[in-house]
Amino acid sequence: MVDSGALGAFWWAVPLMLALVIGLLCPLTGTLLLVQRRLFQANLISHAVLPGLALALALHVDPALGGAASGVGGALVADRLSRNTPATEGSHEAVLNTVLAGFLGLGVLLIPLLHLRIDLEAVLFGDLLAAGPSDLLRAVVALAAVLGLLVWRYDQLVFLGVDPAGAAAIGLPVARLQGLMTLVTAFTVVSAMTAVGVVLVMALMGAPAVVALGGALSLRAALIRSAAVGLAVTALGFGLALVPAINLPPGPLIGVLCLALLPLADLTKRWR
Amino acid sequence: MRRGDRSVLEHLTFALAPGSLTALVGPNGAGKSTLLQAIAGQIPWTAGRIAIDGELQGAASQRCARLALMPQRSEMAWHFPITVRALVGLGLLAGKAEHGFRGPGSRATGSRATGSRASGSRASGSRGPCCQVEAALQRVGLQDLAHRRLDQLSGGQQQRALLARTLVGQAPLLLLDEPCAAVDPPARTALLAVLGQLRDAGLTLLVSSHDWGSDLEAYDRVLVLDRQLLAQGTPDQVRQTLGDMRMAPHGCG
Repeated sequence: MVDSGALGAFWWAVPLMLALVIGLLCPLTGTLLLVQRRLFQANLISHAVLPGLALALALHVDPALGGAASGVGGALVADRLSRNTPATEGSHEAVLNTVLAGFLGLGVLLIPLLHLRIDLEAVLFGDLLAAGPSDLLRAVVALAAVLGLLVWRYDQLVFLGVDPAGAAAIGLPVARLQGLMTLVTAFTVVSAMTAVGVVLVMALMGAPAVVALGGALSLRAALIRSAAVGLAVTALGFGLALVPAINLPPGPLIGVLCLALLPLADLTKRWR
Repeated sequence: MRRGDRSVLEHLTFALAPGSLTALVGPNGAGKSTLLQAIAGQIPWTAGRIAIDGELQGAASQRCARLALMPQRSEMAWHFPITVRALVGLGLLAGKAEHGFRGPGSRATGSRATGSRASGSRASGSRGPCCQVEAALQRVGLQDLAHRRLDQLSGGQQQRALLARTLVGQAPLLLLDEPCAAVDPPARTALLAVLGQLRDAGLTLLVSSHDWGSDLEAYDRVLVLDRQLLAQGTPDQVRQTLGDMRMAPHGCG
């Protein structure tokens, strides 16, 4: 699983750093999406990256770029179809779920059609211990993008979260903000793909955010808490994966640890 | 005013006196929110004129520094992680957005003095943002709860917090959309008392409500709307008019 020859005794350094960066990145993005009531969009994007990933590999371009483009495309398609669908109870969710499944299915079909050799299991569930410097660089760039968005537009994101109609009414660039959030979500998903896979990334985006939001007095506090929780979970998951007696893949371990976090959400209401 | 091929408001003429508290009553679907949003320039209207301080307002996308709109409580995300003080501070962002994110089709409105009693209160615009927030909190009586998270307040307190956010920009004309909705009677009485104090301080308030009871006595004037203006005047005059017409707006009890 690990090419120990290339990095010698410190083969684990890059995967560990990637785990920690992902541990910051995913909860930050997840918290932002959760307070904007857009977390499901992350789920959609995480499944919609596969066709772009396959096409990028066929065209010999960076799979991350193809995946991100495909993820954003899936979000745009879902948005357009939702608007054109009669507004009956639950129709919005039905459209989103169908687009999610459709894009995933398209990606799976493209793999044999384009005669590609993709480790689908690694895409879906991650292969953290095989991560290289390019994976780390990609995650650092995505983290910088999320932090940049938060610093640059913090007040506007707070206004949009607490009063979406009012934000549009006072002239805030709501569509631009939502577009930027879609973009950073797509980059977060493809950056986390190596570490935890496009399926398990949702746990790392959602669980720390849910735990952090209880009792937080500001979005800033919630973001810091979720990042701290995410960091702890990924470090623990990575550490457990290296224990010889356990010897399990870190991605699913991190997913299970996120599940174990959820009961804590009720306790953190008093966390100030 | 039309929405699609349907007329939503018509035959509507009224004026608000500076420093007055006016109720806009009518049943659900009467067009109260639509009217307030049209005055605020948030939605376009197809015919007619709206003037503030004698200055005609543009038909669409026009923001006006001389008014502020308090939305209905159903439009708010009350569980958002934010304190009362921070929520009120967001009202200042409205002023920044006014100047920084103006749509391509909109025009500058200027900031001409209103000539109303509110001019005095606007003179405090030179105060720093913190002072403006504290002053707004004090006006609605929430200074002791400013550090609380928004979802730890009662419904009435939440409405007062939202009112403080509307006040912080120091606009002399306030449009309040159902501020007393989902508020228990004691809290409603307290909220109406705050509105009276704001009127006494020189602000002009237009307050929508679907209540049609003794609360009307708290207002100087009443506009009765049901897609068109059915009556206007003092609370007694409006009751008299509607009594003579042997009608009340549908659903107003």
